[in-house]
Amino acid sequence: MAKITIDSFTKNSEFEWEIPPDFRSDMRVPVRVFASKELLLDALDDKSIVQAVNATTLPGIVEAVMVMPDAHQGYGFPIGGVAATDPDTGVISPGGIGYDINCGVRLLASKISAEEVKEWLPDLATVLNQYCPSGVGVGSELRLTKNELAEACVRGARWATAEGYATADDVRHTEDNGCLEGANPDKLSERALDRGRTQLGTLGGGNHFIEVDIIAKVYDEKAAQAMGLREGDIAVQIHTGSRGFGHQICTDYVRRLQGTISKYGIVLPDKQLVCAPIDSPDGQDYLAAMRCGANFAFLNRQLLANKIRQAFEDSLAGKVSDWQLKQVYDIAHNIGKFEEHVIDAEKRTVCVHRKGATRAFGPGSAGLPEEYTSIGQPVLVPGSMGTGSWVLTGTETSMKRSFGSSCHGAGRVMSRSQAKREVWGEDLMKRLENQGIEIRAGSMAGLAEEAPEAYKDVDLVVESVVGAGIAKKVARLRPLIVIKG
Amino acid sequence: MSPHGYHELDHPADLALRVWGEDFFVLLRQSALGMYHLMGIKAEENYIQERQSFLISKETPETILVDFLNELLYLVEDLGLVLGKFSFTEEDESIIIEASGRKIELIERNIKAVTFNDLDIREIKSRVETIITFDV
Repeated sequence: MAKITIDSFTKNSEFEWEIPPDFRSDMRVPVRVFASKELLLDALDDKSIVQAVNATTLPGIVEAVMVMPDAHQGYGFPIGGVAATDPDTGVISPGGIGYDINCGVRLLASKISAEEVKEWLPDLATVLNQYCPSGVGVGSELRLTKNELAEACVRGARWATAEGYATADDVRHTEDNGCLEGANPDKLSERALDRGRTQLGTLGGGNHFIEVDIIAKVYDEKAAQAMGLREGDIAVQIHTGSRGFGHQICTDYVRRLQGTISKYGIVLPDKQLVCAPIDSPDGQDYLAAMRCGANFAFLNRQLLANKIRQAFEDSLAGKVSDWQLKQVYDIAHNIGKFEEHVIDAEKRTVCVHRKGATRAFGPGSAGLPEEYTSIGQPVLVPGSMGTGSWVLTGTETSMKRSFGSSCHGAGRVMSRSQAKREVWGEDLMKRLENQGIEIRAGSMAGLAEEAPEAYKDVDLVVESVVGAGIAKKVARLRPLIVIKG
Repeated sequence: MSPHGYHELDHPADLALRVWGEDFFVLLRQSALGMYHLMGIKAEENYIQERQSFLISKETPETILVDFLNELLYLVEDLGLVLGKFSFTEEDESIIIEASGRKIELIERNIKAVTFNDLDIREIKSRVETIITFDV
């Protein structure tokens, strides 16, 4: 394959670039990148664009493989990639969804001003850290039987409501109301069920976190008001996914499909792109199992939200005027779903794979809570722990150009080993504390890997999606407390 | 250069390891050591070792390697065990792996899964080598 350079792209606008399908003989559709020239050049430093080109070879792929400005090299698909396939002629690929099925972000709003809570932040950080299990191999106090877990996987967030862990309002403010239909626990391995029983309500390690943020600046008063976000108040973000349960589901099916792909006559440029026709027993079984993982992740974030509310009550009741937390939204950024999109002027149902990309449905889209119908769906974009995060909304342009998708974070620029070589966890902790950020971390090495300098500038990422028109700014958040496993 | 070993490679987001050995089974042993090293695992000093055994189905070298390491990841995360002193017995359709396990005292870093990303086990001169990408 010819080396991909900036000259391989057609420039559609300052923030939208395409590699045409004749760039490589096996491409079926273009690659469409949403990024400034600067971020596009960054993306060319790793294999993310090559991986996007590889993804264009999947059978039944439609329109284009989209790449977000926070893209970086993944395995098979790039992180920050969106690909849609035709349900009749196309494939489903576990690699296009990822091992951490329905990794995502939840945002909770408060009516507590940062000034009012300032003196209680160290206590709040400690209690949050105590109440929310985090770190590698740390299990939950909740021990479900396999039957209970199977039921939870089918009912998703509705299970949490019935058990008293969620309000109806929480569920309404969750993507797909916290439940993908069609989940079937019979398609899970015994090992997946075994791993899932003890992991609901746990944060995990790596880049997962709980943050208490100040709403540093509001850019869209109408949208912020609809979401209950007010400048100067605090809000809480939860970033986690389906834990070992989801990892096991993906591992099981990547392995199974490696053995079955040859019978479908599909030739792939990378084994990790392994897939099955959607309309095949292998494809249907993966979809049913993946939906179990997605529902588990919605529940996982719900149970953590419940713990966070308990921590707020125990730390702040009687000290602040109103300690309650209201759910703004919960979104997935590793998922595969059937959605309706307009392609070549025709409304079609397609299977949208989002891996490291967030759904960003525009105003008027079906399935949004009533208060978001006129503003578009909230898009939650966490940045690095020392800088900031963004709340955006989806737009009409995102529906037309990116299958209703936008970016999911800052995206790494430095390898984990390089970050560990260049950053001492203890030094980083002091630096962040000097910036007024309370840190609770299980591992100093893990903290160093997540150093702010290991990530792209989230503000530049957001400028790109806003410049491309696929999202609109609502508010910028700045961290006050960071809890990491 | 040592006839067997492992070396961490820079990877933009995940983790990657170059592993080599005199034969395939040495490659498996070195891969296990390398993965444990990446995870920063420390075993308990005074723990009585448990014998562990499991089966891997004998397909391609790449699937055997991925299955083997994923089994070790499961034992780390869910049973808190780190294995060593591996022995491998080839049967017609499977490989029996026996090892001794110790309880884990400390893990610094989570690995979600072992991937097939660009995985290609090659024989170069008198050794077997590959690059493994781990999802973290």
